[in-house]
Amino acid sequence: MSDDKRRKYSEAEKTAIFDGEFMPHIDSMYNFGYRLTFDEDDAKDLVQDTYLKAYRFINSFEKGTNAKAWLFRILKNSFINEYRKKSKQPAKVDYQEVETYYNSDNVNYQQTSDLRAESVKDMLGDEISNALNSLAVDFRTVIILADLEGFTYEEMSKILDIPIGTVRSRLHRARNLLKVKLKGYAQDMGYETEEEEDL
Amino acid sequence: MDKMEGASEPRKTQCQETGKCFELLESILDGEIDNSKEVLKEKLAKCQPCFEHFHLEQAIRDVLKKKCTKQKLPPQLAESIRSKIQELK
Repeated sequence: MSDDKRRKYSEAEKTAIFDGEFMPHIDSMYNFGYRLTFDEDDAKDLVQDTYLKAYRFINSFEKGTNAKAWLFRILKNSFINEYRKKSKQPAKVDYQEVETYYNSDNVNYQQTSDLRAESVKDMLGDEISNALNSLAVDFRTVIILADLEGFTYEEMSKILDIPIGTVRSRLHRARNLLKVKLKGYAQDMGYETEEEEDL
Repeated sequence: MDKMEGASEPRKTQCQETGKCFELLESILDGEIDNSKEVLKEKLAKCQPCFEHFHLEQAIRDVLKKKCTKQKLPPQLAESIRSKIQELK
């Protein structure tokens, strides 16, 4: 890397970065956009806007660094700044839910401890997807980033502009909320969620 | 964390420190703890609530990955992005 300081990429370099480092993430980007907006057209616009921004600001991207995290950050910011305002289905945040979980230091572990791994494994339909979609956007986002896309806490902290400790606690709370939803589905499926079982 | 010795004993049915333990287990599943194999093995061998929590968390991650990452990319999207980029050049 002899030209670290020369941040202006040539046209050929820009194309190489765009094709080689940005475009390979388009599936993940679209999935993220769709999970945020629940609308195919909105997701398409969001992804397209993100890629156009990425190209416009390509000189602020360091070649060889984490392109996926950089792109996700742009997409997340575009979503917050533009789509949440004009979305056909405005992001409905259950403030009570958010407040309860943000403000409690001790998360209640017992409330979901009777959901069993076996019943989750048997959820072959849309249960998990519906459960994820039902979460408030801040909780949904951390689960998408961590569990669907495999970002580290540090990467998530940069994507979301929040401290790592907040990433960890928000993720934990998000998972607990998800488990509450899943437990409801498990009961609908006829699982005796409180039954003890020898393993 | 439990320092009880003796791996062949049955798992304890109560965990005194679910807060700490579950946070640790989740961090391990998230790949945030280095050299976690031994700690994990010991926890899962000795504590039933930890064992169950770990497997539940793992199952949820597996199902999430399997069921929530397959949103089909609209066929024209990549092409449309490329042509808009051409216009910017």
